[in-house]
Amino acid sequence: MATDALAVKKARLGVFELSADEARHLPFLLLLPAIIVVVAVVAFPMLYSLYLSFTNYDLTRQTHDFIGLNNYLTLFSSGGFWQAFGRTVLFMSLAVNLEFILGLLIAQLMAKAILGRGLLRTVLMMPMMFAPILVGFQFKWFFNAQVGLVNNLLWTITGEPHIIPWLVNTPLGFITILVAEIWMGTPFMAIILEAGILSLPTEPFEAAEVDGASGWQKFRHLTFPMIGPFIYTAMAIRSLDLARVYDVISIMTGGGPGERTEMIWTYVYRLAFTGHNYALGSSMSYVTVILSFLFTFYLFKNVIKSRWEGRE
Amino acid sequence: MFKGNGFETDKRLVQDFAAGTVDYDVCWDHSSFFSQYVKAGGLEPLDNYFSEDDLKDFIPRLVDAARRDGKLWVIPRHFDISCLHYRTDLMGDRKPPETWDEFKKLAIELTDPSQGIYGTQFAGKEEALSGRFYEVMTAEGGSLFNDKWEPTFNSPAGVKAATMFAELYAAGAMPPDMTNFLWEDVAKNWANGTIAMYTEWYGWYSFFQDPKSSKVAGKFDFARQPMGDGKIHSGWAGHHGFSITKAAKNKEAAASLIKFLTSVEGNELEAKLGYLIARQSVWDKIIAEAEKSTDPLAKKRLELALLQAQEDFKTPPLIAEWLPMSNVLYPVLQKIILGDVDAKTGLDDAAKQVWDLMDKAGYYKS
Repeated sequence: MATDALAVKKARLGVFELSADEARHLPFLLLLPAIIVVVAVVAFPMLYSLYLSFTNYDLTRQTHDFIGLNNYLTLFSSGGFWQAFGRTVLFMSLAVNLEFILGLLIAQLMAKAILGRGLLRTVLMMPMMFAPILVGFQFKWFFNAQVGLVNNLLWTITGEPHIIPWLVNTPLGFITILVAEIWMGTPFMAIILEAGILSLPTEPFEAAEVDGASGWQKFRHLTFPMIGPFIYTAMAIRSLDLARVYDVISIMTGGGPGERTEMIWTYVYRLAFTGHNYALGSSMSYVTVILSFLFTFYLFKNVIKSRWEGRE
Repeated sequence: MFKGNGFETDKRLVQDFAAGTVDYDVCWDHSSFFSQYVKAGGLEPLDNYFSEDDLKDFIPRLVDAARRDGKLWVIPRHFDISCLHYRTDLMGDRKPPETWDEFKKLAIELTDPSQGIYGTQFAGKEEALSGRFYEVMTAEGGSLFNDKWEPTFNSPAGVKAATMFAELYAAGAMPPDMTNFLWEDVAKNWANGTIAMYTEWYGWYSFFQDPKSSKVAGKFDFARQPMGDGKIHSGWAGHHGFSITKAAKNKEAAASLIKFLTSVEGNELEAKLGYLIARQSVWDKIIAEAEKSTDPLAKKRLELALLQAQEDFKTPPLIAEWLPMSNVLYPVLQKIILGDVDAKTGLDDAAKQVWDLMDKAGYYKS
């Protein structure tokens, strides 16, 4: 009787009895719609572009022959490509580390704030609200040689006219792009790190205070190792952002002048996509995917390592 | 209907021709772009739909620039070409330069840092820079390619043209960030009154002559572009027009629409909007009307533009590889201008890269 009542109750609730085999397949069936979407919009385009990178596909010439590793050989034998590659790695390394240092500093200060923390956080988030393309235009104007804010500010301060071509001279062009990118990325770092600092337990800090530890010692031996997972997660996300940085550079310098600020994406766009040479473009894109993968792999390895260290 | 600027429309057309998704009979076209569409097999030759009689009113150089492989692909609608703009208040008793050598000398003379005046400027990147180099080099007697499509712009004429840009920059006769300028930037600099002379498209005229938008309104004049050692006037130009797609279901009707859009009435309407139109007969009419204008440059502007269309109009090579080769060439020109490399070494390197590009495109297969 009791079993019948349970079966009736289950049927009313729309719960069906599943065999062991059905139960094993159910998760897959439930995930199937998501899998189909991911395959259609992520896996297929990626695999197709990988295939394209081994062809001479050209939209205007309509060629589509398999040419093996030729596109990659063209790339790897190009001095311009390696310069752009090296500059991109340098740019990513500098930007992500400087953003981390500044972000950590701001996060520490915010965590100490007693009043107006919410307001500070909102203000800090503002650079993240701007589209990168607008940030590019804004900084292009700041650093314009003739009517730019920076040169005019220098004029006001020194009383002498300054026509410094910030976006042209080496290494100023690279530095100005770095400044724009850091301005845009530091708030993200600060907010994630502040969340990490605020989530820390108070007991170790109280014990350290009883033992007479200085502020620096508490930061060095407690805060810093304990927020390790937050640091590496934030750095991994920013590295992925930076690996595909294009908008800001494209607007500010376009990778020029004379390839002085050329990075992989501006190089790809100039030589592959404006000429509709999508095969070469695909091979260049795959090199950047591998670069992003290596950065992310390194950082996530450290996330896991720091989690284990935190537990010890 | 798709609406976009020329570059956006070009991208859309290339994609549609490649994907076979053309569901329109008539498309916008441009002298710099149509070779790509011909190569992609997207266009219908127009020779069967437009007789010699239909074409006789069009400026001949414009029609020539719409032909490729002996066939007509585009019906011109309106065109653009640059002329020399110079500041009458800064020139004193000097005459506008007739050669590029005189241009360089005068630009350096007119530079006055104390007044914030640069002798000249050029748009310093992308096709804008490649195109200016092309027209100066052509005037100096050079060419981008020989008849086997091998790059020849590293010739003495090319080196002389590139050296002129570098010398003007080194002398401080151009703004230090000119390598970041595109069309809007150079036009705004001119309107701000910081440039003594430069070559500019006619299309900006109303903006420059409006005191609300320009400090140089009423203070400038026009001249034909200078000549080089080749005794040829510079005249990088292009025209907009219409083509019939290969996929058009009713090609006769499509031709009829193009005839209507490029008719005398259509050209008259567009001439009133300030476009430099393609029909000779309409030019005669608008020049006669400009004589009555209170604008002192109205008639001169039109007469000069017509003269240039008839004698100086030169498009870049009518091949699909023009923009890809420009993307190889302009960073090298920037390096030459900034002094990162000398003109000969830079152009030799660019010529090698363009040779590879043309080779891959199949130009050297015997």
